[in-house]
Amino acid sequence: MPYNIESATLGAVSLALDAASLRHQAISSNIANAGTPGYRPVAVSFEEHLGALRAALSSRGTVDASLLAASSARVEREPEKAGGTEEASRVAVDEQVAQLSQNAVHYQALLRALNKQYSILSIAINEGKR
Amino acid sequence: MDYRSAFQISASGMTVEKLRVDVTAVNLANVHSTKGADGKLFRPMRVVSHESVGFAATMRHMGFSAALPGAAVASVESVDAPPRMVQDPGNPQADEKGFVAYPGINQVNEMVTLMTAVRAYEANVIAMNVAKTLAVKALEIGGNS
Amino acid sequence: MSIEAVGYLAPLAATPGVDAAAVAGTGVAGNATAPSGPGFGELLARGLDQVNRDLVSSQTDVQSLALGDAQNLHHVMMRLEEAKLAFQLAVQVRSRLLEAYQEIMRMQV
Repeated sequence: MPYNIESATLGAVSLALDAASLRHQAISSNIANAGTPGYRPVAVSFEEHLGALRAALSSRGTVDASLLAASSARVEREPEKAGGTEEASRVAVDEQVAQLSQNAVHYQALLRALNKQYSILSIAINEGKR
Repeated sequence: MDYRSAFQISASGMTVEKLRVDVTAVNLANVHSTKGADGKLFRPMRVVSHESVGFAATMRHMGFSAALPGAAVASVESVDAPPRMVQDPGNPQADEKGFVAYPGINQVNEMVTLMTAVRAYEANVIAMNVAKTLAVKALEIGGNS
Repeated sequence: MSIEAVGYLAPLAATPGVDAAAVAGTGVAGNATAPSGPGFGELLARGLDQVNRDLVSSQTDVQSLALGDAQNLHHVMMRLEEAKLAFQLAVQVRSRLLEAYQEIMRMQV
């Protein structure tokens, strides 16, 4: 989605926030279905598909705003285990809760960075007066 | 953050685990009851949960590429466990051979189910609290000038 | 008196960064003699360059955080906050310089 001011940074942060919120929903689905027999856990893959963006970042110091539109987070389900029993679900609740906490910290870090970006812009616009 | 769906998912998980706790409590209370409400031997119950399919279809419709599994739904069904026979000829409910039939409830299994259900309930509560924190923080974007 | 003040300024002005802009901004109102170190305009330009570089590098940091690459969350946050403060300082310097200029223009000849 295009942002008029600072489209590269705000676009990248917005994309990362989308991925983080999708990841939260996936993890809470896993936790809610922990007791469902035969349930296959889901995960969100996002950082792995960003090779082109990372290359642009390291070579030029900024991501390409047009490449951002092409990336998105994907939900993936664990593959069916061949010959596995359908008895217990394969969710490790403790690991899911740890991932939930890590994702929450990442989300809040992104929000804090976003707020600071906006406040820098507003200093420039307001000439230092609040 | 789509906070509504996150809350719904966690709330449904909590409902399922609470149902599991209730059913386990009923089973444990009836360990020594010989007759159920319908006059026959009490049959232990069990909670069977599965993902709700309709929710996944809704998520796909909203534009997510793959189907995010949704909430969990559960139903209660009776278990066909063989009754526990206890030799007690003096009991008025004994059959012609002197055995009294008690429901085949395995107390150890029921206790383990109870404990895992409580832990799963706590995990769902944690997930819901985290979702609430994230949504509140997102509301504060641009707040401190 | 003013020549000594400017002479004292020169070694301080040699350190790059925001300090130079701040010192130059506060000590220079109404100064008429040429300083022995780099010129005032150059000091200001260097300070602004540094602020710009800080801001651009903090943008890069935020982007790498978004792409999942940031190893040190605290470094990212600290650099972001420093860049913001440096920018605020530069804006304040600009406001004071403008005020000083307007004050001088208002003086009756």
